[in-house]
Amino acid sequence: MEMQTSNSFLSLVQTTQKISTTRGNNAKIKLAASYFESLSSNADLKLAARYLSEGAFSSVSSKKASVGHRTIATLAADFCEIDYELVFKPSRTATGSSSETIQRLFENIPEAQSKWNDTQLTLQEIDSIFQQLYITSKRELKNQILWDAWTKMTPLEVKYFIRILGQGSLRIGFESKSVENAIAKAFGQPLESVRYARMISGSMEETALMAKQDVLDKATFEMFSPIAFMLASPIESRSVEHLSEYIAEEKFDGMRCQAHVEHGKVKLYSRDLNEITGSFPEILAFFQDRNLSPTVLDGEICVFKDDTILPFQMLQKRMGVKKPSEKLLAEYPVLFIAYDLLFLDGDSLFDDSLVVRRRRLEDLASEYSLPITSQMELSSEDDVEKLFERALAHGNEGLMLKRKDSVYEYGQRRKSWLKVKKPSGSLDTVMLYAHAGSGKRGGTYSDFTLGVSVKEDERYEEEFIPIGKAYGGYSDEELKKMNTLIKDITLERFGPTLLLKPHLVIELEFEDIQVNKRTKAKYTLRFPRFKAIRWDFSPSDADTLKDVERMYEEKLHEERERQGINPSFIFRG
Amino acid sequence: MVRIKKAGHHGILLPDLKIGLDYSGTKADHYFVSHAHADHMPRNRKLTVYATPPTASFMKLRGFGGKVKTLEFGETLQTDAANITFYPAGHILGSAMTFIESDQGSVLYTGDYRTPPSPATEGFELPETNIDTFITEATFSLPIYKWKSEEELSLQIRSFASENLNEGFTPIFTAYNLGKAQELMYILKELDHPMQIHGAGFKLCSVYEEHGFSLGTYESYNRDTCEGKILITPGSALGTGFASNVKKKRVAYCSGWAANESRQTQLTVDELIPISDHLDFFELIDLCEQLNPKKVLITHTPNPKVVQHYLSRKGIKSGFLDLEASDVE
Repeated sequence: MEMQTSNSFLSLVQTTQKISTTRGNNAKIKLAASYFESLSSNADLKLAARYLSEGAFSSVSSKKASVGHRTIATLAADFCEIDYELVFKPSRTATGSSSETIQRLFENIPEAQSKWNDTQLTLQEIDSIFQQLYITSKRELKNQILWDAWTKMTPLEVKYFIRILGQGSLRIGFESKSVENAIAKAFGQPLESVRYARMISGSMEETALMAKQDVLDKATFEMFSPIAFMLASPIESRSVEHLSEYIAEEKFDGMRCQAHVEHGKVKLYSRDLNEITGSFPEILAFFQDRNLSPTVLDGEICVFKDDTILPFQMLQKRMGVKKPSEKLLAEYPVLFIAYDLLFLDGDSLFDDSLVVRRRRLEDLASEYSLPITSQMELSSEDDVEKLFERALAHGNEGLMLKRKDSVYEYGQRRKSWLKVKKPSGSLDTVMLYAHAGSGKRGGTYSDFTLGVSVKEDERYEEEFIPIGKAYGGYSDEELKKMNTLIKDITLERFGPTLLLKPHLVIELEFEDIQVNKRTKAKYTLRFPRFKAIRWDFSPSDADTLKDVERMYEEKLHEERERQGINPSFIFRG
Repeated sequence: MVRIKKAGHHGILLPDLKIGLDYSGTKADHYFVSHAHADHMPRNRKLTVYATPPTASFMKLRGFGGKVKTLEFGETLQTDAANITFYPAGHILGSAMTFIESDQGSVLYTGDYRTPPSPATEGFELPETNIDTFITEATFSLPIYKWKSEEELSLQIRSFASENLNEGFTPIFTAYNLGKAQELMYILKELDHPMQIHGAGFKLCSVYEEHGFSLGTYESYNRDTCEGKILITPGSALGTGFASNVKKKRVAYCSGWAANESRQTQLTVDELIPISDHLDFFELIDLCEQLNPKKVLITHTPNPKVVQHYLSRKGIKSGFLDLEASDVE
């Protein structure tokens, strides 16, 4: 493949394609690094770093193109002059990727071939197309912009243009961490410095530029720009090596939250770094009352009433509600319980040990009366067991074990934080539908709708109704075996979906049961996944909807111990 | 028009003419086998079937228990009800399209085929008489499938082998044991580098040699001596120890399905080479238009409606012979 002038979009996508087809992470990093090096202009470097890791818009900009998958797919079908339902959809099912389908149709179909030209758009011209899509709200105008753009690109460019526009993964096996690696390699900077700058600035393009200009040390944390959360690894057994190096906290069944507070200005951010302040006015008021100097806290939002932490299902009533009513606020009052301190009064604390951060958090909490988690020392596995039981009695999910000497590993899921959770529930379900997978599972049936029995249930006429959709927990071998079997039990085909004869019983594991009025069963499962394929079971062995209802009620009405003595958090309000 | 029945997984039956095409049932008087791939070979060992001489040899080597009578390309067999002639299908060596002429009309059954033909076959040839019913496979029945030229693919195949050998890697091609494996060897022999082929494929190579297709310098796979040679094997063997002692190796997956990018991560291979032994979507539609039969019957496809949609736009009548769709080339 002839490489184009380096500031062309074509050159970026050729590099991207090469990364995609190259195996081995180091080889991929090398390709990206030499591409970054080849870019002479700073503006081009910034765009390339952004497109390879974040999408059409910088992740700190909160801009979106707001162009739906269906809009793109139907427009592409028009571009090819083919029938969307009859021709485009089965093609997409076969590849498992809408953008790859579009690339290949643009390459193959004469009506499309005659429309596009290789005009070598520059990265900056692509940026201006993305900006136009952002400022335009009219659908027809957006369509016109896309259509014009496609006439000036090769099909390979169109494929990646669509993926970049979607702000999702480029699906080339090269995620943000590898892009940081490539930046470090390209400009001879230590990887840790690049990571740190990325975390602090929240921006890959700024990081790339700082790395090139050798000013990574200038990266400073800014208030009201959220940083990626430190995450915990699950552990199966309760036995942990060097137990005494950890402290324990109860693990709340709430919503992770990062609070940025500077006197009257307060912003709350969710796990995915979206702002959620509007949904929780009482937390806003709580912090405003305290008039803190610049502070960033990591913690959990929980519904707290009658000295009891209430289940996640209650918190759900508040999540996503932009302006909660007085009634909702009174019925489901929430509390922000802090467990980490990341920034205080001009000092970043990420690099301090947990012990140091905790001491400053305790001081702050006692001065301003903030709720913080209780921390418990551990000396034996018996301690873990006892504390775990107590956490469950409080209605919490389990325990967090945190290494005392660990720094705040933003955006990482390592072994410094461990979570010990209650084994989740499971149900024996019947496979009802198979759905063609996408991405790396394209071309096989990898997603499955599972159902419970309502045979004896006078409310329903069916024998089985869906309870959840699962797409993981099986091995490649099992997937293959299921795909073979599916051919024999398919009753009907609707595009990418197969209706199956009830035959295969799947033991499904899940985190929780939730009420969902829009579904036939009125319940859905949270994080359902395969626990076992019960080749030995028949559909008559499946659990019933009544079993689901019973499990839900039991969970909801589980006795929850009041905080009382030995509370899960300390709050001297 | 001749009546045509699908017979489930057991091929196609022309009940009035008592002719079975890749058919395993008992209701025919004359049985014709298009080629020696497992999904087309009858399983019934009591049968006497007609096949081309290479197909007959392959069938015996692959354990067909019945009797095989050979019928050369272009030679016509006369039965009470019809005249039957084989035409080269370009799919694998010996692969034949079956042309049936009777008072009730003519039928061309393609079996699996490729046009332009695979270079390691007798070519592709059509009857000159009008065809009433054209029974065609449509394995790659979507416009996302359009093959690169033979030159381009041959170049990719040879470059993969030579570049990796130069870098000290053993190149491994995964391909079906019969047909694709030998086609690769036929293309690779130009490199004049020793090859090893999986035992199940090796025993079939002699049939190619006997029919004038030299496959170069090769031997049966030997774990102890395979390093540094060009290796050819079905993909399934990679999971069961094939060349597992060779550390520096790279794998190319050779199949029409390699056109789909997801195959690379699904199969964890280094290169996708979309070389198919079937024709692509555009070749299929063009061929139907060129033949302009009274009716096209489509088999072996997951997407009959797409093909029918394109044919109807060209004014060609079509139907779907609902055999089990097969994902195997």
